[in-house]
Amino acid sequence: MRLFGCFLWGLWLCACGAHAGMPDYQVFPAAGGRLLLWVASERGRTEPELAAARQLAARGVEVWSLDPANAYFLPQVPSSMDALPAQDLAAWLRSAQASGKQVVVFAVARAAVPVLRAAALLEAERRSRLCVVLMHPNLYTTAEPLDEPAYLDLGDLSGLRVRVLQPRRSAATPWLPGLLDQLARHGATVSDAILEKLREGYWARETPTDFEIAESRRMDAMLLHQLDIWGCT
Amino acid sequence: MHVKRIVMGLAVGLLWIAGAGAAGFETRAASPAPELKAHDLAGASKTLADYRGKVVLLNFWATWCPPCQREMPSLERLRTKMAGRPLEIVAISSAETPDEVKTYLTKMKLGFPVLVDADSSNTRRWKVFALPTTFVLDAQGRVRHVLTGPAEWDEGEALAVAESMLAELPASAKQTK
Repeated sequence: MRLFGCFLWGLWLCACGAHAGMPDYQVFPAAGGRLLLWVASERGRTEPELAAARQLAARGVEVWSLDPANAYFLPQVPSSMDALPAQDLAAWLRSAQASGKQVVVFAVARAAVPVLRAAALLEAERRSRLCVVLMHPNLYTTAEPLDEPAYLDLGDLSGLRVRVLQPRRSAATPWLPGLLDQLARHGATVSDAILEKLREGYWARETPTDFEIAESRRMDAMLLHQLDIWGCT
Repeated sequence: MHVKRIVMGLAVGLLWIAGAGAAGFETRAASPAPELKAHDLAGASKTLADYRGKVVLLNFWATWCPPCQREMPSLERLRTKMAGRPLEIVAISSAETPDEVKTYLTKMKLGFPVLVDADSSNTRRWKVFALPTTFVLDAQGRVRHVLTGPAEWDEGEALAVAESMLAELPASAKQTK
């Protein structure tokens, strides 16, 4: 029994040691002045996301791709994202900013939660230099029929610039104004764009439409277009 | 011992399968339903008052939503099964245009009313955060059951819920013209 206890203690120490500081991520190097931190959703990183990262790198945008569930050996469910150590992600953001490049974070679905919490841990000056793009973010604690939605406490986001990309064909679209209000209440400067004729996670759908297939192949161009019209520099 | 393990395994497996088939209805204390204010595909205004005196199954859905599409045939079978009884199935398309719904209905023939919530005001009033979401209302227009997610409406728990609501009606109201 004591031996088993020691084994568990050792396992915990190894796990902590493996993740102390920063998560493991994949780098797609490029010489340009932009660095995109791509944080996959709780469902894990998909091949179209990797393809988009390669395409962005070919266009001069360096990409650091993080699959949080995989990096922390967590189940691929939304609650796993809430359990990620925000300190690690904050260290990752600082490391990205230390590159001297303009850092943009792109987080999908529930991965928005640890990214925003990490941004809240940054020093105000660092936070004001960061641009965050959230793809159909899920920031609810509860969202039950007939009841008002409740949102997570994300910390102080003052000075942070956030752009929400919301696919039109989503049950969350009617609730976008409430979500933007919530982000603004935390101090973020928010903007949004509706992605027409698309569903959430359109690049990884089981039965994608022809339009979704085409759009999943040009996610790099879509992101660059959004960054350009947003003007977060 | 070996046989005992096999029997236990089968029992657990059967329980798992039975559980997987459960729709997961949430029973609510009877409370007045939010306002329903929508249009049908002909442009006529509809409210819950149009269905008063009947059990109403109000289904929020969208043409792009795969689970919504999967449950539609069972809603249509339920309509056929309940013909002549005071149950009204009403599907309300969330945040879509009448044209989008009409295009879908050329492929999927439905015999129950389909409303359009183009500006999503009903979706917000009813606090619908996932599709499909279905509200089962009693003849007084009160919400009694809620289901988030799809169901096979003509069988199992879903059918039992519909039958239990109809059973509450006085005998004189149990048949419609």
